[in-house]
Amino acid sequence: MTAIVVRGLCKRFGDIVAVDSLDLAIEHGEVYGLLGPNGAGKTTVIRMLVGLARPTSGEVLVLGRPVGEKALAGSIGYMPQELALYETLTVDENLDLYAELFEMQRDRVDVRKTEVLRFVALEERRASIVHTLSGGMRHRVSLAVSLLHEPELLLLDEPTVGVDPELRASFWENFGHLKNQGRTVVITTHYMDEARHCDRIGLMHRGRLVAEGPPAEVVRRAGATDLEEAFLRLVSGGARAAGAAPPAKEGVRA
Amino acid sequence: MRSRHVLGVTRRVFRGFKHDRRALALLLIAPILAMTVFGIAFAGEITNVDVIVVNEDTGFVPLPGMPTVKVSEMFVDNLDAKVLNIERMTDLDAAVKKVRDGDSWAVIHFNANFTSAIMGGNSTVVEVRADKSNAQVYAAIVTQMKDAVEKTMEERKLSLPVSFDVSNAVYGKDAEFSDFLIPGVITFAIFLLTTLLTLLTFTTERVGRTLDRVLSTPATELEIVLGYALAFGVIGTFQAIVLVSYGVVAFHILIEGSLLLAFLITALLAMTSQALGILLSSAAHTEAQAVQMLPVIILPVFLLSGIFWPLEAMPSWLRPFSYALPPTWAAKGLRNIMIRGWGMAEVWPQVVALVVFLFLFLALATLSLRRKQ
Repeated sequence: MTAIVVRGLCKRFGDIVAVDSLDLAIEHGEVYGLLGPNGAGKTTVIRMLVGLARPTSGEVLVLGRPVGEKALAGSIGYMPQELALYETLTVDENLDLYAELFEMQRDRVDVRKTEVLRFVALEERRASIVHTLSGGMRHRVSLAVSLLHEPELLLLDEPTVGVDPELRASFWENFGHLKNQGRTVVITTHYMDEARHCDRIGLMHRGRLVAEGPPAEVVRRAGATDLEEAFLRLVSGGARAAGAAPPAKEGVRA
Repeated sequence: MRSRHVLGVTRRVFRGFKHDRRALALLLIAPILAMTVFGIAFAGEITNVDVIVVNEDTGFVPLPGMPTVKVSEMFVDNLDAKVLNIERMTDLDAAVKKVRDGDSWAVIHFNANFTSAIMGGNSTVVEVRADKSNAQVYAAIVTQMKDAVEKTMEERKLSLPVSFDVSNAVYGKDAEFSDFLIPGVITFAIFLLTTLLTLLTFTTERVGRTLDRVLSTPATELEIVLGYALAFGVIGTFQAIVLVSYGVVAFHILIEGSLLLAFLITALLAMTSQALGILLSSAAHTEAQAVQMLPVIILPVFLLSGIFWPLEAMPSWLRPFSYALPPTWAAKGLRNIMIRGWGMAEVWPQVVALVVFLFLFLALATLSLRRKQ
């Protein structure tokens, strides 16, 4: 069954084309990676899937419904790139807010808070004010907020940016668990090495999808030895001539 | 609309203040500080104004052998020594020089025939050579002189051609300038602090993407705005309670009407102000830009709302702009309640105006959140 269907999606900001004629079909229970360098249009796609940005043209169906319907919101867990936490509140209080906004059953709230905090290994910091936590811990809190209401679909925008390798490994382990629970996970990243954790990937460049499929297949089709080479081959000419930065190698931001 | 969403946002705002003591202090201590400064600096009476009396009046002897009567001296005795600091001089030119040198504010000069002219039923003149560079000081001197004339004539059983009886005031019999000023200070403090805090809070929410995250939940834009409105309505009322209590204790302000009605007005103003803060935040991309908007908020309200001086002092063509500002109505409503003792039957136009502003700004704030990129 298809969790996300995108047809002919375009987004313009004035003269700038951020997303250009994008077609996507993401299956239920899949970990789908949207890869590409900074400025490729990944965040814009995620924002349109969440309903925070209005497409210039095209169609978006999420979990079988047109995007933007408030009834859909309860089924989506969104983690913005900027972490989006209330810095002056405690971890618990941040979770409490979203428990109210997602209308969680009151007797489930405490259980779920404990579960998600255990999931991100932050149980002992639940009473800490967010701005007193380290950057890595804040990333974990942000992920916990996205998971609290047990969403069917997770849209995670660059969840591993600025995260140390150990935590990145732990995050991907978590995403694997979520997949095993039957959830659909869509992740944007510009770390090419992270593609190996995904069932399928979509390589984006200048708002367009230049390749899609299981990581190994994308590499093979491009006649490359790894994903980075595949990406550069796929965008060769256009990207290099324009001086576009290649996607990041392992642990290095582009 | 779900109350759970609204109350969730409201609780979030309160919890934020619980942990952010500086913001809490700004909300409570800043208005008290503002009232103290304005109350002391502007509401105090003018005292100790240096003036010089040059009295050349030779007086009048009613019958031979009787003491000389000098009405000018009676007049000087009736000047309030608290307000005017009187120095005596005999040389008029030297006295005027002191004023010219900035050592005194005015010379009050009585001519040689002053008393005899009065006794003879003729008119006479008290010459005042004043430094009018400070209109308020000058007004205090003139008021003192008028009062002294009336008092002296009354004592001498002499009648003025026209006199005014202002003892039976319709409203504000015991009102002082502070009674006019403090409702304005309350209005200004609540408006400014609420707008400022919401503007900064919402700009941070936009920049930090917490707003995106909240908007990605089932909560609607209106519920989010109402959650904030409820929080700031409560905070505004609490600020008003603190400020009115402080005004009563520190400045003995008049409270002739219903305090509940006054608090209703401050709550409406606070909610309108927070909606304005949300609306303005949509034009700011960074916190620094939000701070740059402050003069745009403060100046029109400070100058046009009738908060610190009456609307009647403004040119008539400017007054429509005044009525386009919510604080104008709030200050007027508070004064009507606190000084005139009016109830809902009389202050409903101000309440209705504030409700209209509230709905308008709530709608615009909601639309500003709904406007997607």
